[in-house]
Amino acid sequence: MARYNVLIQSLVIFVLLAACVVLASLADQTPSSTQIQAPGYGQLAFEAPTPGSYQLPDLGLAANGLVLNVDGQELNLDDLMGDKLVLLSFIYSTCNDSNGCPLATAVFYRIKQRLESHSVLARQLRLLTLSFNPLNDTPEVMREYGQGLSDSGLDWRFLTTASEQQLNPILEQYRQTVNKIVNEQGEFTGAFSHTLRVYLIDKNKHIRNIYSVSFLHPDTLINDLETLLAEAADSAQRVNHSNVDRRETNNETIAPEHASHHPIDLLQTINKPSLGLPAMPVPANNPVTRAKIRLGRKLFFDRRLSLNRTISCAMCHVPEQGFTSHEMKTAVGIEGRTVGRNSPTVYNVGYYQTLFHDGRESTLEQQAWGPLLARNEMANPSIGFVLDTIKSSADYDGLFEKAFSKPVGMETLGMALASYQRSLNSANSRFDQWKYGGKTAVLNQAEINGYQVFVGKGGCVNCHVISDDSALFTDNQFHNTGIGFSDAMQISQKQHRIQIAPGVFVEVDSSIVDSVSEQKANDLGRYAVTLDPHDRWKYKTPSLRNIALTGPYMHNGQFETLQQVVAFYNQGGIQNPELDVNIKTLHLTASEQADLVAFLHALTGNNVNRIIADALTAPVGDPH
Amino acid sequence: MDVKQYQSQFLYRTKILAISVFISLGVFLPVANADETCQSPYMAKIVGQEDYVYVWTLGMEGLGDEQDKLVTIGANPDSPNYGKVINTLSVGGRNEAHHSGFTDDRQYLWAGGLDTNKIFIFDVHTDPSKPTLTRTITDFVASSGGVVGPHTTYALPGRMMITGLSNNTDHGGRTGLVEYTNAGDYITTHWTPTDTDLRGAIKAGEYADGYGYDVRVLPRRNVMLTSSFTGWSNYMMDFGKMLKDPEAMKRFGNTVVQWNLHTRQPKKVFDVPGAPLEIRCAWDPNHNYCFTTTALTSKIWLIYEDKQGDWQAKEVADIGDPSKIPLPVDISIQSNDKMLWVNTFMDGKTRAFDISDPFQPKQVFEKQIGKQVNMVSSSWDGKRLYYTTSLLSNWDKKGKDNEQFLKLYHWDGKQLTQKFSIDFIKLKLGRPHQMRFGANALYATTPAADASVLAQLKE
Repeated sequence: MARYNVLIQSLVIFVLLAACVVLASLADQTPSSTQIQAPGYGQLAFEAPTPGSYQLPDLGLAANGLVLNVDGQELNLDDLMGDKLVLLSFIYSTCNDSNGCPLATAVFYRIKQRLESHSVLARQLRLLTLSFNPLNDTPEVMREYGQGLSDSGLDWRFLTTASEQQLNPILEQYRQTVNKIVNEQGEFTGAFSHTLRVYLIDKNKHIRNIYSVSFLHPDTLINDLETLLAEAADSAQRVNHSNVDRRETNNETIAPEHASHHPIDLLQTINKPSLGLPAMPVPANNPVTRAKIRLGRKLFFDRRLSLNRTISCAMCHVPEQGFTSHEMKTAVGIEGRTVGRNSPTVYNVGYYQTLFHDGRESTLEQQAWGPLLARNEMANPSIGFVLDTIKSSADYDGLFEKAFSKPVGMETLGMALASYQRSLNSANSRFDQWKYGGKTAVLNQAEINGYQVFVGKGGCVNCHVISDDSALFTDNQFHNTGIGFSDAMQISQKQHRIQIAPGVFVEVDSSIVDSVSEQKANDLGRYAVTLDPHDRWKYKTPSLRNIALTGPYMHNGQFETLQQVVAFYNQGGIQNPELDVNIKTLHLTASEQADLVAFLHALTGNNVNRIIADALTAPVGDPH
Repeated sequence: MDVKQYQSQFLYRTKILAISVFISLGVFLPVANADETCQSPYMAKIVGQEDYVYVWTLGMEGLGDEQDKLVTIGANPDSPNYGKVINTLSVGGRNEAHHSGFTDDRQYLWAGGLDTNKIFIFDVHTDPSKPTLTRTITDFVASSGGVVGPHTTYALPGRMMITGLSNNTDHGGRTGLVEYTNAGDYITTHWTPTDTDLRGAIKAGEYADGYGYDVRVLPRRNVMLTSSFTGWSNYMMDFGKMLKDPEAMKRFGNTVVQWNLHTRQPKKVFDVPGAPLEIRCAWDPNHNYCFTTTALTSKIWLIYEDKQGDWQAKEVADIGDPSKIPLPVDISIQSNDKMLWVNTFMDGKTRAFDISDPFQPKQVFEKQIGKQVNMVSSSWDGKRLYYTTSLLSNWDKKGKDNEQFLKLYHWDGKQLTQKFSIDFIKLKLGRPHQMRFGANALYATTPAADASVLAQLKE
């Protein structure tokens, strides 16, 4: 056995050195199919990234363990780290696979040669070659293995362990896979199957890169080492590097245009209504406080408040998207379940006398439970499930008690969510400043013309009410425009025009679309609440405040733009027996329609960015 | 474990020099693919007969135990379990099971859930016939800083690169790549460049949408490529509802991004309109190119390195009749770079394209596999092709067209011949999605056990 080992060892060294010699002179020659060797033996086939131009993330603490040096002295692996950068490779001396252990040793050898002219790095580097075969690789064998490799210059240690008991925890912690190959009799053959691994360890004893066969090359290794040296040279960066990396990543916002995260005092929107808004009606049993608003905001954004912890209120009422969703006509709930109507914005929602498109709910306090329990929205299986979720979440400890002087319950949860939503008030738009603030110059002529159409020829104001001292742009009533009728009663289209890329549309047979379509639920509007046939396909008049931010439009999200909405009303909606008397052909000119759209764009409140920035301060409740 | 382990074992048994084994096998052909011809280049590959197919399967409401599961199928014709379900392992919940991938040592299989953002880590080495769930990562979104929808779980040395599809603030398509150690610890996040934050990349065209889908690498060119699909709102939405929603249809990825593999810095954003999905790279060491197909526009795109060493993207072929939205989904490249299999979901067909000239793919074969088809996994020699049906739980066909099966076909160069079919509805299993292969020889410590693989290695 010993003779076999020596034979193999000699062969390994020969292969290793021959490969270095041959491949070092290959220059740009492309290896033929009979010369394929690991990249680490040859020239790097690309330009190695410039040291210091990139970061090497922290892969965790390098594990410790007891090892033996070539003199048989017991050492902590840990004691061989910290003062220098370390490259650690696991090998066994009789490994005869030229792209296995000898590759690691060859690459180390090439690094050693390269660093002979780079004393700064050479002084700060230690190479560790650790055997995972203590049965054969005694300190003496490792000394032989290292002979001719570690003669001078670089600090290159050849290590082994006293036993497999000492070795195994090290292998396990570095996740170095090693399997003994045994023969038919189950006897160990002296060979291993294993993953080639080399670890780069910084002076904080953290792993900063892991290399395997296809990835191990002196050029990239040396540049990675220099990158770590450059990092260490910048003391500020050094102190913070591992934390900063992660914090910067985690804080990077998905929506850079709203990168600011600043809480604001939302209570002010209730105590001092913005120009253009009347006093906020507040239920006597739920006076609004800052504590309730803060708690309600936390609940509103908390994705844990759904059966599978993925859906919060804010996933459909997205702050950066006007507290609705720009990206779909009608909402999608838990597990992708279809919600039949467009997500309404919650801006100024506290002024509504009824809630939901069909007005089925009367207070925000009660409304909160609708989506929480709806099977196609947040799908919580019970009230108790929601309350238990909150009770078992430490970050809610004491918050309900502070806001309500009593623990979370069905009532207080609704009150908290209502308080936040009641504070999302946005007005003092350019229209308000013009209409109620005496600033005649803030609207341009097109917008003023649009206003005239709005209150005159267009008749919009009949439903979207403007009062003398304030404007809610809603009559809080229900109207039939024909859109609901059309959805329910129209004959199915034979083809669908579908966008398949920007500006590219195809007409697709409905049979193809139908094959992947669920059965669409019917929607009768207000009728679902009153069962009065005259209420078929009536929907609540929405406010028009912030309307430029809250597309797509109508209860079913049918229209992408305000131009389409105006054109729809201009044509008199869609004829049906319950069509609202106020909806009729308007005969607006193209110019009048454009002016009307311009006016609608003047209804954006002046505090929306502040409300968004406040919203972004809320945690979203992803499991940690 | 790496390819070289086979050589070590082979060497031991045949008493020939290691170097000649490497020569015969061409170990460092730098490639990455989805099935066995498609594994990470850092990983051991099964070049002989696979013993198992691991099928990451979506739970289906109203069927069986309704939850996601890893289903193990017997794949070795010499086994009495050939074509049978050997094991099922339910993981709890419907997580929108989708893709899975081994760690570089092929000891563990990581399988993601696009909805709940959980990543399930299965031990496949202790008993390859009966994987066990060893860890579930539940904090992927919080750790990553908001990435939603863990999709491709791709092996890099000692770590996993995971592509996201969405984010936790609006469930749209802006997303990034997330790295984990093989132990399952979060490392870092790389956000995909957007118009408002290109992160040092240059735009080769019009778009920089920040969307994500697949990732593949060519280590010897230091290139990493990512493709782009759509956000949670769309991939979870009823397919028909989405097709009829113009706002939703605006939210698909139109880009492929070239990254510096070593530094993970984005370099170039290519226009590839219409949702480029799977990326497959050529195997030959001189073939510096990869293919992707666009789901909505039904085209094959070539992403290639030009003579100046710059990477480019070029549309090279139509797939079926794009005006009918055949919806190309999974693709598979042969290990000799001669052929690309392309599945189209809507018509349930698999199509073979001759890609000998990568700039001019030509369809040479097609066959309907079922009412719907999604994934295809090929054996290394290209002789066995496994097909499954499920695309996404809410995108699958409805009613009687919702066939759910795994089928094995043999390919003789001219025809596909079905060898077995497993009905996942009849067996109350669910919707079969991605397949990964297992082999006893990968973990064998005795030469006798790995005979079938080693025999293949001699070819």
